[in-house]
Amino acid sequence: MPTLTEDTIVAISTPMGRSGIGVIRLSGKDSLSLIDTVFQRSGRALRDRSPALGDIVDPQRNQVLDQVLVTCFLAPRSFTREDVAEVSCHGSPVVLKAILELLIRQGARLAAPGEFTLRAFLRGRIDLVQAEAIHDLIEARTLFQARVARQQAGGALSHRLGPLKEQLVQLIALLEAGIDFADDDVSVLPTAEVEQRLAPLLQELHRLQASYAFGKVLAEGLSLAIVGRPNVGKSSLFNALLEEPRAIVTEVPGTTRDLLSETVQICGIPVRLMDTAGIRPAQDRVEQLGIDRSMEALADADQVLMVVDGSEELGQDDHQLLKQMEGRPYHLAINKMDLPPRWSPDSIKAGARTVTSVSALTEEGVGTLKTRLFQAFQHDEALENEGALLTNLRHEQSVREALDALLRVREEVTQGLPHEIFLLDLYVCLRALNALTGETTVADILDRIFSTFCIGK
Amino acid sequence: MTSFAKAFDENYDVVVVGAGHAGCEAAMAAARMGQETALYTMNLDLIAQMSCNPAVGGIAKGHLVREIDALGGVMGEVIDRTGIQFRLLNRSRGPAVWSPRAQADKQAYRVEMRRVLEQQTRLRIKQAEVISILGDGDVVRGIELRDGRRVGAQAVILTTGTFLNGLIHIGENRCAAGRSGELPSISLAESIKSMGFEWGRLKTGTPPRLDGRTIEFGCLEEQKGDAVPTPFSFRTERISQPQISCYITYTHEGVHQIIRDNMARSPLYSGQIQGVGPRYCPSIEDKVVKFPDKPRHQLFLEPEGLNTYEVYVNGLSTSMPVDVQMQVLHGIPGLEKAEVIRPGYAIEYDFVRPTELQPTLETKQLRGLYHAGQINGTTGYEEAACQGLMAGINAARQVQDKAPLVLERHQAYIGILIDDLVTLGTDEPYRMFTSRAEFRLHLRIDNADQRLTPIGHRLGLVTEESFQRFLSKQARMQALESFLRTLTIPVDSGRISAVQALKRPEVSLESLWTALPADIQRSLTPEEVKSVETAIKYEGYLRQQDLEIERMRKASSRRIPAQFEYHTIPGLSREVVEKLSRVRPSSIGQASRIPGITPAALSIIHIYLELRAREKQETA
Repeated sequence: MPTLTEDTIVAISTPMGRSGIGVIRLSGKDSLSLIDTVFQRSGRALRDRSPALGDIVDPQRNQVLDQVLVTCFLAPRSFTREDVAEVSCHGSPVVLKAILELLIRQGARLAAPGEFTLRAFLRGRIDLVQAEAIHDLIEARTLFQARVARQQAGGALSHRLGPLKEQLVQLIALLEAGIDFADDDVSVLPTAEVEQRLAPLLQELHRLQASYAFGKVLAEGLSLAIVGRPNVGKSSLFNALLEEPRAIVTEVPGTTRDLLSETVQICGIPVRLMDTAGIRPAQDRVEQLGIDRSMEALADADQVLMVVDGSEELGQDDHQLLKQMEGRPYHLAINKMDLPPRWSPDSIKAGARTVTSVSALTEEGVGTLKTRLFQAFQHDEALENEGALLTNLRHEQSVREALDALLRVREEVTQGLPHEIFLLDLYVCLRALNALTGETTVADILDRIFSTFCIGK
Repeated sequence: MTSFAKAFDENYDVVVVGAGHAGCEAAMAAARMGQETALYTMNLDLIAQMSCNPAVGGIAKGHLVREIDALGGVMGEVIDRTGIQFRLLNRSRGPAVWSPRAQADKQAYRVEMRRVLEQQTRLRIKQAEVISILGDGDVVRGIELRDGRRVGAQAVILTTGTFLNGLIHIGENRCAAGRSGELPSISLAESIKSMGFEWGRLKTGTPPRLDGRTIEFGCLEEQKGDAVPTPFSFRTERISQPQISCYITYTHEGVHQIIRDNMARSPLYSGQIQGVGPRYCPSIEDKVVKFPDKPRHQLFLEPEGLNTYEVYVNGLSTSMPVDVQMQVLHGIPGLEKAEVIRPGYAIEYDFVRPTELQPTLETKQLRGLYHAGQINGTTGYEEAACQGLMAGINAARQVQDKAPLVLERHQAYIGILIDDLVTLGTDEPYRMFTSRAEFRLHLRIDNADQRLTPIGHRLGLVTEESFQRFLSKQARMQALESFLRTLTIPVDSGRISAVQALKRPEVSLESLWTALPADIQRSLTPEEVKSVETAIKYEGYLRQQDLEIERMRKASSRRIPAQFEYHTIPGLSREVVEKLSRVRPSSIGQASRIPGITPAALSIIHIYLELRAREKQETA
């Protein structure tokens, strides 16, 4: 945990590696004066949100390090609500490091990981959900991930939960009014109406919770093991999915000895592809070790893509493996569709989620295979478009807690338990949602009662 | 603050200023706990006056009265002896929210309370106007009276009700008054103000009173009391005085039109009234304006006593000019020819922001000075009485140099009320609701004695005799419960335990009655039986709440140092820093209940406390 002093922190904000430009960011009350000691420019003093062109000069050696653009964001209108200066220089790791070291020498402190976001959170610039989303945004490996994270940073999930919580608070207020103002002219909510008001809440929470199955995959990606007997074209398919010849491909069965793994994005999801050694009775010790790893990969992978050869009859090894796949989710690719098929895909009795004919050679069917892998997940397009799907375990747990509480409420209502009893679980539900959005207090509920009912004799 | 050139004319341990519902409990508690106590009132004949409706209790308020009684207060017994219509409210719901209410014989209540006070040893009742609080540095020394006398005291309890700078409004007319026909306290208000407390102004209203002989009760809906009255006090065995009925009538569109036509003459809407009124007890003007779609408003006609024809029109609180009040009344069914005895009025008064108080009700500024009742921004006799009791207890404890009593939110509605006041403050007259209780199922009227009587006994408020009675009642209930835990009863599919059966909503302990041994059947009252049934029926939920209580205690147990400097934390907004610096919460839990303190702000404080603890560890 970084200390919470008001010193000025600095870090390279763009990834290390050669690129067109690189950005170094400073945050803290001395950001501007610090930059001024090393930034030489003709023209005026630095102004808020107005980029200035000039040179970064090492004052000790009087040596120009790079020509840069400096943009400053004055407190509190900055990401951290402190004075922030951003130096855009040329994206050479050597230049970036030299400028960073210079700024540290001038008095800045190297920022701890996540310290800019932490400061933004501590200064009330962003809430917890947004802070988490910013982390996700930075970590995003695909455009789809980035879009969802950006929408969540903008409060998409909070927007989605807002109306839901609104309905919940209204229900609580109606029930509380019936208890606290029973002696007034307030009608008591009939059971049928309670049930009627619960239904859409349950539906929405169910929907959000279900979105985690895909949201989790979106956030974390998944691993896909490509398995099959030797020489069915696993490595060719691996290369085709990867869109580069990464694995060595020969016509010799058992060419792939070791596990090969690469990450690729399929329809916006980061997928770790694992090319495995062909599975058959091993001919030597090295092959046996490779096959053992194949079996491990098969067991560990989130998803399995089994490959068979459509141009040959299925053999003993194929059938053995198909049997092994029973009872777990897997996809089946029938390779070599560029050759005349020896059997019809319909003839294979397999429990595969999807069956796709492909040609790793001509890449025919590879696009279809990708789409099918992606479509295997339950989708909620509306939520996905809004970026309101659950992508984070903490969010999922809160939503599940809220949902479980509401399911208990429905049960308690059916049993005919008194309102003050099932209100307990309604409050559990509200607290769980509060953890994801802002607080709702007793005062808010009383406000609701007084604006809904004419209370008071 | 006044200096002490001259010695005191009289000296007491505890002085109570004001003899309303808060003052009476405060004075009784201090005297019963052994302190020489003096109670000052501007009018001896109006002790425990019910200035608004002639009733005690109601939902959540009835809970407060039970708690006052369980701790050893007097309100419960006095209303039990002078109530003329008892009803147990919320009977259609679970026992956690049942609450007793009674119409009071207003005069009888006043007389009985004075009799109780007069019988108390170590308690002197005095008629005099208190004009200032005497302090020495940050310690209270006593009070000064209008006649020039100075009274020394180690603790002073202010229970001034609506008297501080009271201003009555009836239509365009205004007059300074403490209540209708009584003088306000202006000098005392100035004295308290000069001490630098933060102030606010509130408003409350009361309806017209009618001559019952001019009301056509025959055409109105009758509301009877319960056939078997439920007493407030655990010590009351039976209610024996005669019982009366109330009557219900309604306003209608024609009446609403009269009100709308005269809105310009309402001090509430003309801008004449500045104070904030209670939203749950709005004037009829407010009801008509804010709920234009409601075709009628319910009114209760409540007799003010057995020896008077005066009738209180509950629901028609108003500050309209008298001629408009008459037009309105005469438009209402049953009241066409009604004679107005006293017109309705609104009253504005000063209150001290309760965030100036510690959870003991002692002011933060002046040691030994306590505030209780409407001066703290509350409304209601019961809310006032329970604060008076707690202030009396803590003043006595301070004189005795003993630790104060602070009730927790899970222990009593009293604890919730005081925590809300000192933590949240209030912008409108504060009233108790059951929805303010996080652990409502625990805070029942039937177990108030279990929760609080042992505490009252330790304090010396509950007599040995009452305590023994309480213990034997617990023993009887325990015997019943133990027996039920061994009992099995036949059902379609064999036998199940009685405890299991009782958890079904349709099964009551009554239905198992014949299975109980005769001695158990004979020994218990119906209330005791119901209490055992409740404890069993809801034990699953009660246990769940126990876990919640534990969780809340843990979450809120991180202490915040008293001198914690919020302004040094860069992440807190100025508004948040101001609020925290004013309330000075003692724990994260209390901080979390301060309005406007966001979860983000709490996380920041939490992180800082954590970091400081770590820094300390590292340097150690």
